[in-house]
Amino acid sequence: MRVAIIAGSISGGIRIAQEMESLPGVDVFVVLCNVGKRSPLLRWSRELLSALKTFKWWTLARKAWSYARQRRLVILHRPLDDATSIERLKSLQCDVGLHAANVIYRDLTISAFRLGILNAHIGILPKYRGRSVAEWSILQSDRTGVTVFFIDSGIDTGSRIVLREFIPSRGWNNALKFKNMLFGCDARLYRKALETLMQPGVRFESNDVSKGQRYYVMSKMLTRVVNEALLDDKV
Amino acid sequence: MALETALSRPVQLDRCEGIVREALLRRRAEIRKSWRSLIPSECLESLGSIPKDVESLLSGQDAFRDWRFAAAFTWTDCDASFLDSLCVIALGGKVEYRPLDTGPAPLLPLELNKLSRDERLKTLCDRYRCPLNIGLSSESNVAEELLRQLMVPDRAKLETGDEFDADFVLLKLNLVGIRAMITRDLRFLDALNYFYELPQRSLARIRTSPRFLAFWLCIYAQLLSAPDW
Repeated sequence: MRVAIIAGSISGGIRIAQEMESLPGVDVFVVLCNVGKRSPLLRWSRELLSALKTFKWWTLARKAWSYARQRRLVILHRPLDDATSIERLKSLQCDVGLHAANVIYRDLTISAFRLGILNAHIGILPKYRGRSVAEWSILQSDRTGVTVFFIDSGIDTGSRIVLREFIPSRGWNNALKFKNMLFGCDARLYRKALETLMQPGVRFESNDVSKGQRYYVMSKMLTRVVNEALLDDKV
Repeated sequence: MALETALSRPVQLDRCEGIVREALLRRRAEIRKSWRSLIPSECLESLGSIPKDVESLLSGQDAFRDWRFAAAFTWTDCDASFLDSLCVIALGGKVEYRPLDTGPAPLLPLELNKLSRDERLKTLCDRYRCPLNIGLSSESNVAEELLRQLMVPDRAKLETGDEFDADFVLLKLNLVGIRAMITRDLRFLDALNYFYELPQRSLARIRTSPRFLAFWLCIYAQLLSAPDW
């Protein structure tokens, strides 16, 4: 299986790639997009800063160099949905893309991958689509966790769910920290999703959007309520 | 396929409801003290005959009118204009409405968005001449679209300081607020929370429509006083 990590930074892409490398039968590529159409100076300064922040910059640099030498590090200079970028993606002949950049995908980009692009959404689908879904789940006393599904061009409306993992909020006293932990589960869950996809006769669960709602950024007031509820639950 | 690998014990619902209620009442008390910074006296004076009612609702005790029963109607009609009906609802009064057996043809969000700005305003004001209709289940697609517009493009424009249409944003905030009154959907209330929490400099930009601004704040104050969230 050929897999491309669509990353917003080298460090983000390599972090996920490392988790995939040990999967037998998987070829990994890191596709670096220019999120926000930044100038080269700003883009590479951010890369450098993000690499330094990992405190493992030397390992990261070696890894990035190794990917670049093997032509597995693809740097896109144009927007992701630009025709040249799509052609470049198609030329990789990947089966699956892994979402790791702050971008919205158009249909043409998605269809550059044989099976599509996976997203590790930090909420339980189909009920919780959109933003701040971890907080909304806690507020409404629902179970929290991550859903890995194939995206479409809508907001968390892709119809094929590959897996869903419930991760309790108990023990966390701050919604932001809890959310960051959920975001950090992406590499592990992408790996698990790929293992599932490589099984014979794989079947998907349907993401029935009529069974859920779209949520939006939560206000400060309700976020404080969620933090209070978390603290309360911890006692 | 669903790999449910860990059991999650959700935060207790009753406890969450209690904390939400306390937070809403705290915000209500905050508005009681500080609403004049949002609606300065020159804005208040431009409201014609209602400044005293606005003042009394915002500074007074927790008053609200329960409109949840309106969700059961198919459609309602009223003789008053949209603005007059909105004013009555905002000030906690009783709208004179007539339930109808049939409603208009559905309004598709895609159709609405194709219209020019003036046509969109007119379409919404005509359709929701009796504003309670925005709370009907048949209007959920329109209501969801208004919520989306507020929380995605409008919010982004306000936060980045880009040009935006104050009248239209306030009209949407009013309709979304009425939807929250009828459905008790926390997402709709939270849109009002979010806009209320915007920095003063952003809120100052919506003072160009004092009437809509005052109605929005009155509806918000009523929502914060409502129990059963």
